[in-house]
Amino acid sequence: MSEYQSPHRGGHIALIWLSLNVLLFWKTFLLYNQGPEYHYLHQMLGDTEYSSLCYTVGPCCLSILYIRVCICKSQTPNPSLAHSSLPWQPQVCFLSLGLCLSRASASVLNLNCSLILLPMCRMLLAYLRGSQKVPSRRTRRLLDKSRTFHTTCGVTICIFSGVHVAAHLVNALNFSVNYCEDFVELNAARYRDEDPRKLLFTTVPGLTGACMVLVLFLMITASTYAIRVSNYDIFWYTHNLFLVFYMLLMLHVSGGLLKYQTNLDTHPPGCINLNGTRYQNIHLPEYLSEHFHESFPGGFSKPDELTQNTFVKICMEEPRFQANFPQTWLWISGPLCLYCAERLYRRIRSNKPVTIISVINHPSDVLEIRMVKENFKARPGQYIILHCPSVSALENHPFTLTMCPTETKATFGVHLKIVGDWTERFRDLLLPPSSQDSEILPFIQSRNYPKLYIDGPFGSPFEDSLNYEVSLCVAGGIGVTPFASILNTLLDDWKPYRLRRLYFIWVCRDIQSFRWFADLLCVLYNKFWQENRPDYVNIQLYLSQTDGLQKIIGEKYQALNSRLFIGRPRWKLLFNEIAKYNRGKTVGVFCCGPNSISKTLHKLSNENNSYGTRFEYNKESFS
Amino acid sequence: MRQIEWAMWANEQALASGLILITGGIVATAGQFAQWYLGTYSIAAGVLICLLEYPRGKRRKGSTMERCGQKYLTRVVKVFGPLTSNYYIRAFLHLGLSVPAGFLLATILGTACLAIASSIYLLAAVQGEQWTPIETKPKERPQVGGTIKQPPSNPPPRPPAEARKKPSEEEEGAGVPVGGPQENPMPVTDEVV
Repeated sequence: MSEYQSPHRGGHIALIWLSLNVLLFWKTFLLYNQGPEYHYLHQMLGDTEYSSLCYTVGPCCLSILYIRVCICKSQTPNPSLAHSSLPWQPQVCFLSLGLCLSRASASVLNLNCSLILLPMCRMLLAYLRGSQKVPSRRTRRLLDKSRTFHTTCGVTICIFSGVHVAAHLVNALNFSVNYCEDFVELNAARYRDEDPRKLLFTTVPGLTGACMVLVLFLMITASTYAIRVSNYDIFWYTHNLFLVFYMLLMLHVSGGLLKYQTNLDTHPPGCINLNGTRYQNIHLPEYLSEHFHESFPGGFSKPDELTQNTFVKICMEEPRFQANFPQTWLWISGPLCLYCAERLYRRIRSNKPVTIISVINHPSDVLEIRMVKENFKARPGQYIILHCPSVSALENHPFTLTMCPTETKATFGVHLKIVGDWTERFRDLLLPPSSQDSEILPFIQSRNYPKLYIDGPFGSPFEDSLNYEVSLCVAGGIGVTPFASILNTLLDDWKPYRLRRLYFIWVCRDIQSFRWFADLLCVLYNKFWQENRPDYVNIQLYLSQTDGLQKIIGEKYQALNSRLFIGRPRWKLLFNEIAKYNRGKTVGVFCCGPNSISKTLHKLSNENNSYGTRFEYNKESFS
Repeated sequence: MRQIEWAMWANEQALASGLILITGGIVATAGQFAQWYLGTYSIAAGVLICLLEYPRGKRRKGSTMERCGQKYLTRVVKVFGPLTSNYYIRAFLHLGLSVPAGFLLATILGTACLAIASSIYLLAAVQGEQWTPIETKPKERPQVGGTIKQPPSNPPPRPPAEARKKPSEEEEGAGVPVGGPQENPMPVTDEVV
């Protein structure tokens, strides 16, 4: 039996995205390379001078992904001399495809700039996750990869921006060097040999392009993993510059510097003007040059025959040029409007503050806050974003819900671990400092609590643990919070869900940490015992550091004391045991904890076992 | 708001700008454009900047992620002392290095990026940040038998620690039942041959 019985849908999406990009790139490239309406622009930007020669030189040309390095002559090449033994001056002419590369990379950029916004529409994703329209678990798992998709699009935008900028710099150079009076309106330069830097900074596309590159530079350098882990603020504030980027992008494409020819029927490219103005260059346009290299080995005698075969037209009027309609507006307006609409909706919904009912201090620096809000619905496993203006006007922090509102009870709650300055100040505002050391009973002092706003709820992969028949949930330290909401839901009513067996493994460093949910676990255990389903929830608690002498959680938690192990879990044995007792089933594996545990579980989930059990690992991605 | 450490961001930017300068310089030199010697200059400047910025400095609070293989360069950069640890000097150095590359079209992007990096370094310097090298702690080799001072002289069962004249050893302590001194009513001999 293969490891994956079902195909990995994430791979399909990646393939579709990749082929869309390649298709767009290829199509646009060919359009600008061979399309007759771009013939004159193509020539002006120096392409045909070298490109047909490169075709004919053949074996001397290395085509590396359209950046050709050819051995070319430095003067205007004459094909008749191609076979003679003139000394060739090696010159790297990889700049010969500026127009095609810049437009092709622009179309790829269009696609990616529009797709990159979609994974950030979190409300939409949460809705899709929970709606009945997405019944398949495989499709829901795709939504887990949304952040990876966003990063991939981002990296693609960087790479193709680099290509686009380089190609346009070459175009600027060619515009200024190949200035000719015949095509004044086609050329972006105003006179011959105009400094390309002036072209760059005095035209709308040039200036907006330069600003966009700088904004992109700021955003990319602040998005590296090291910065996100150490100074999340820098990442968050610079990433919000994306709005500036999109505004500049809209202006950038409105410049209309690259034009196409509108009157192809009355003025076919390469035609002869009886007035004497030469529209025909030394080389025939590329789409006719296929005949050229077939006849080439024989020498230059063939072209006379060729000119008889091809119909040489007479120009009836001057060529007219017009700028393209900015396609980018069509590409990005949809996702941008969707994203802005969602942000607006979230802002309006979170305008009303919550009512804090109680604040409980737990050991090991954990605070529990219980609150109510009108019309707030959440599924177990979802998270919310807290915003407290009295603590910080600009910062928002996500916390997983540990208790969700049900039909009978509207209270919901979060557990916060006090790690940084935001949580420290939040705790100081909620609890007077004198009572922070002791574990106190909740007291209602609603008039003293600061105003708290919440945004959400947003989805996470942990919601799926109720949809498997057997689930393995592994929590490390404070990572138990998503599973706490699952346990609370099971306490309320377990029958509506597909879950029939839950393996709950909780690894902590400090024995006092178990008291955060010791009551919940004991009550749940008792409930299932009463209902004659003692094997529904299998609890294993591990104390990974054995410095403390205390080996029991508390006298009243006997059910948990007998399930407490000292030392780290032995995952391989655990997986074997689960596989043996659940033969042939699909077990959902969920992990919320340190990366090392996550990696081990992922590896073990992909391994085969002899009992026919399949483990599906569901990955959550935090920063 | 917690103090943001700007130096880390400036470091990423400077490293990226160094790479952009090198790329632009290669293009300019290989294409033999006008003033291509500026391209060569920007390759050299880019290499210098990359070498200087590769070792990441230590954060004030918390652990810092090291770049792969940075400890060799850390030793080199540490040698220069205040020249490299002071961010004012770095800011002005980057500003100065970026100016000549601005005259060539191919390297103008590198100039702009390096100028931004230099301004962020200036901001970091104003906030009093400094580059401190990340020291690798020497690995503590587990001392095998380091805690064994003297092997026990009595065979088990041994009297408890208070009654023993010599200090107890860790390895023997785990499984041995600690009981009172035992006086056997009959003489006991070892029957194992």
